[in-house]
Amino acid sequence: MRDEANRPRWREDFPVRWDEDQYMTRRELAKFLTLGSGLLVAINALIAIVGLTRTSPRLPERRVAGIDELPPGGSLLFRYPTADDPCILVRNADGRVDAFSQVCTHLSCAVVHRPSQGTLDCPCHKGSFSCLDGRPLAGPPTRRLPRIAIERHGDDLVATGIEV
Amino acid sequence: MATISLPRGSRCSRVETHEQGSTLFAAILVLIATLVVIQLWLVAAALDALLANQIAVLMPTALSSIVLFVLSAGLLWYVTSFDDRLRQWGRHD
Repeated sequence: MRDEANRPRWREDFPVRWDEDQYMTRRELAKFLTLGSGLLVAINALIAIVGLTRTSPRLPERRVAGIDELPPGGSLLFRYPTADDPCILVRNADGRVDAFSQVCTHLSCAVVHRPSQGTLDCPCHKGSFSCLDGRPLAGPPTRRLPRIAIERHGDDLVATGIEV
Repeated sequence: MATISLPRGSRCSRVETHEQGSTLFAAILVLIATLVVIQLWLVAAALDALLANQIAVLMPTALSSIVLFVLSAGLLWYVTSFDDRLRQWGRHD
């Protein structure tokens, strides 16, 4: 009774307690989660649309090296398509020439050629990729190295594009 | 444990109680939350695939996300209708 008398007038106008002000019912939470689910569908659809409609720009053809500059089992560094994209050209013992991005798909360290193993190794976390197709062989990387398309024009090796 | 008296001809049995309804609501809430977490993982996977130019992954992730959304919405509809029914019976009681 005494409490009733002492109750401030504003309590009658705002009967909601402070801690109940932020109160969320389970029903509201379920609705909120389902709305979030709808939002995630929209994001996923947007990603799919962007991926399916994106066209990759045609990359320029650029001479990388002469075939004589690269002995069997040797490698050569170059940059393609821009000066910020380091790549590595590898000639295997059988004479086959392949080129890959030099950026490790794990945490972007530079991979180095190890001809005795036939691999491209990342010294940072001991990742290892195949010299033949760039697929990951060991260590933390899970994605293959992007391959640089190389064509032989006479004695010249020419980069023509990137195969991710 | 208070048993709710159900309307005559109801398909539900007498074992439905407020406590059971509450437990069911909580369980379905957890299920919806789990589906949303899986959807978050799908978004992360789709974004990773987009950046890696693996286009083949994008459609399955989008379709899976739609299926999970439909499941979530279905569960929400079921649980809210169930809750409404329980409240209605509670008032009748």
